[in-house]
Amino acid sequence: MARKQLNIRILVSALVISAILFSAGFYTGYSINKQILGSIENDLKKVTADIQNFQLQFLFFDVLGESATCPLLRDTLSNINTQSYEIGNRLVSSGSEGQITDQNEYIILKKEYSRLLTGYWLLAKKLKDTCGLEASTIIYFFSKECTTCDDQGFVLSYLKNRMQEKLLVFALDGDLEEPSVKVLKEYFNIKTYPSLIINGKLYEGFYSVEDIEKLLKTAV
Amino acid sequence: MEIVHIINYFAWFIFVFIAVVWILVLLQNRERYPRNVRPKKMPFISVLIPAYNEEDTLEKTIKSVLEIDYPKNLLEVIVINDCSKDRTREIAEKFGNKIRLLDNEKNRGKAYSLNRGVEAAKGGLIACLDADSVVEKGIIKKMIGYFENKQIGAVTPALGVFRAQNFLEKIQYVEYLLNVFLRKTLAFMDAVHVTPGVFTIYRKNVLEDVGGFEVGNLTEDMEIALKLHKAGYKIENNMNAKSYTHCPDKWKSLFNQRIRWYRGAIQNSIKYKYMFFNPKYGNLGMFLLPFNFISVFAIIIIFMLMAWNYLTAISNFIWKLYLINFDLAPLMSSFDWNFALMNLFSSPVLFAFFGLALGAYVLYISFRVNGIEIKSRRPQYFVYLVVFPFALMAFWFLALVHEVFRVKRKW
Repeated sequence: MARKQLNIRILVSALVISAILFSAGFYTGYSINKQILGSIENDLKKVTADIQNFQLQFLFFDVLGESATCPLLRDTLSNINTQSYEIGNRLVSSGSEGQITDQNEYIILKKEYSRLLTGYWLLAKKLKDTCGLEASTIIYFFSKECTTCDDQGFVLSYLKNRMQEKLLVFALDGDLEEPSVKVLKEYFNIKTYPSLIINGKLYEGFYSVEDIEKLLKTAV
Repeated sequence: MEIVHIINYFAWFIFVFIAVVWILVLLQNRERYPRNVRPKKMPFISVLIPAYNEEDTLEKTIKSVLEIDYPKNLLEVIVINDCSKDRTREIAEKFGNKIRLLDNEKNRGKAYSLNRGVEAAKGGLIACLDADSVVEKGIIKKMIGYFENKQIGAVTPALGVFRAQNFLEKIQYVEYLLNVFLRKTLAFMDAVHVTPGVFTIYRKNVLEDVGGFEVGNLTEDMEIALKLHKAGYKIENNMNAKSYTHCPDKWKSLFNQRIRWYRGAIQNSIKYKYMFFNPKYGNLGMFLLPFNFISVFAIIIIFMLMAWNYLTAISNFIWKLYLINFDLAPLMSSFDWNFALMNLFSSPVLFAFFGLALGAYVLYISFRVNGIEIKSRRPQYFVYLVVFPFALMAFWFLALVHEVFRVKRKW
C-alpha cells in the first residue's frame, strides 16, 4: 500500500506556531504580573511617604498646640487609612490567585507592607491617646493554614467599608518572618488564627459581623 | 504552578495546535475550496435508501432522488425496507417501478440493509442515503468527477440541516456548517475519517473489496471510511454538493444521537488503534485520529475544571454574601475597579479569550466558505461558540463513562 499523504511541514509549522503563541501568552501574563507588583510597590511608596508626613505632623503639637493639630492629624489619618487598606487587599488577592511568578519580590512587598501597617497602628494609637480619636482599631492576625481566615478578612472588609473612618483595620500576615510582626504577636500573645485585637483586647477564632458590632459598641 | 494549571494549559495547547493546523491547510488550499471537478464520464449509479419506520420522510427523500439531474437510464433507486412496522412499505410501493424495493425478513439494522443493497446494485457507483434526508438536483454531477482518479474510493457531500426550526436545530445548523468546512479541509489532507450516510458515493468494487459495512457497529459510517483508508483508497469531498438531513429537535434525542456517535467513535478508535501515530497512514494516522482522540480528553478536562471553578466561585460568592447578610451596598461603592481590570488579563483568562478568538475565527471561516452571512445567524453563532460546547463536553464525558462501564443501550 502506498504511503498516505503526510504534510509534515504543516504539522511541524503548526507545532512551532502554537508554541510561539503559547509563549507569547505566558510572557504577556508574566509581564502583567510584574506590572501588578510594580504598581503595588508604587502605591506602597506613596503611603510610606504619607506616613512619614504624618509622623512629622506630630511635631506641630509643640508649636501649634492640641486644638489646631488634632483636626489636621485626623484628616491625614483617614487618608492613609483608605489607601493602605486598598494596598493590603491588592497584595492579598494577587497572591491568592497563585499567579505570582516572582515569589521573592512578593514577599518583600508583603514585609514592607507589614512594617508600614505596624508603624501606622502605633501612630493611630498615639493619636487616640493625645487627640481622642473616635475610631475603633482592630488588628487582624491571619495565616495561610487557617480555614476561616478568608471569611474573617471578608467580614472585616465589609465592616470597614460600612464604618469608613470610624473603624481602622490592620491585617497582618502571621506567617511572615518580619520582626515588627513578631513583636506584636508576642506582645498580644497570638497563638491561633484568626486572632483579633479589638481596641486592645484579644479575641481568638472567627467573629461574625454581628459579633464584632456588639464588641465595638461595648469597648471603645 | 500547580499540576491542575499545567494540565489545563496542555489541554488548551492541543486545541490551539489543531486549530492552527486547519488554518494552515486552509491557507495552503484556499483557491481549491470552491472548485467543482467536472465529470468526463457518466457511470451507472445506484442510490440505496435503507428505511426503518420512516413513513414521515421517505416520500420526500425518494422524490428528491428521482428529481436529480442525471440520465434516468443511468440511475436506479433501491429502497431496503428493514421490516418497518409503519406505512414505510406502502409509501415506497407508491413509486411503482421507478424504484426497486427490497424487504428484510427481520429487522437487521442499517449496515445489513446497505450490504444487501450493494449486492443487488447494478451500478459501478453506489450512493447511500438516509431515509430522512434530501439532496439537491445537481448533486451527482458535482461528485462523480472525482472518481476519474482511480485512487478515490469515496466522495462525500456537504451535509446541512433540513429546515432548522427551533433554536436547538438552528445551533446544529451552525455546527453542520463548521463540519462542511472541516470535511473539505480534511479532504485536502486525505484524512476524511467519516463518510456520512447522507449521499456519500462509493465505488461498488471498493465496498466489496473491504467487505461492506460492518454489521453491529454503532457508527458504520466511520468504520467504512477507516476501512477504505486501510485498503489504500482516498476519500474526497465536494463542498458544493449539498445534501440535507433532519437533526434532533429535542435535547433528549440529541443526547441519544451524540452518545451513539461518540461511543461509536471510541469503539472504532480502539479497533483501528494501529493507525495512531503511524506514519504509514499519513495525516490521518499522525494527526487526525490521535488528536481527535486526545482532544476528547482535553475537552473533558477543560469541562470538568471549568465546571468546578464555576461551582466553587458561585458557592463561595453566595457564602460570602450570607456572612454579610446580603448587604452589598458598602462593597459596591468601594470596589477596586482598576485592580480588577488588571487581574482580568491574567494568564488563564488570557488563554480562554485567545482560545475563544481562535474558535470564533475558524467558525467565521466556515460561514464564509459556505457563503452564509454571519449577520443572518448571529445569535446561533454565539451560542454555538460559547454555550453549545459545554453540552457537547458533557455528552463526551457521559459517552466515555458509558463506554468504560459498558452500559447497554438500545438504538
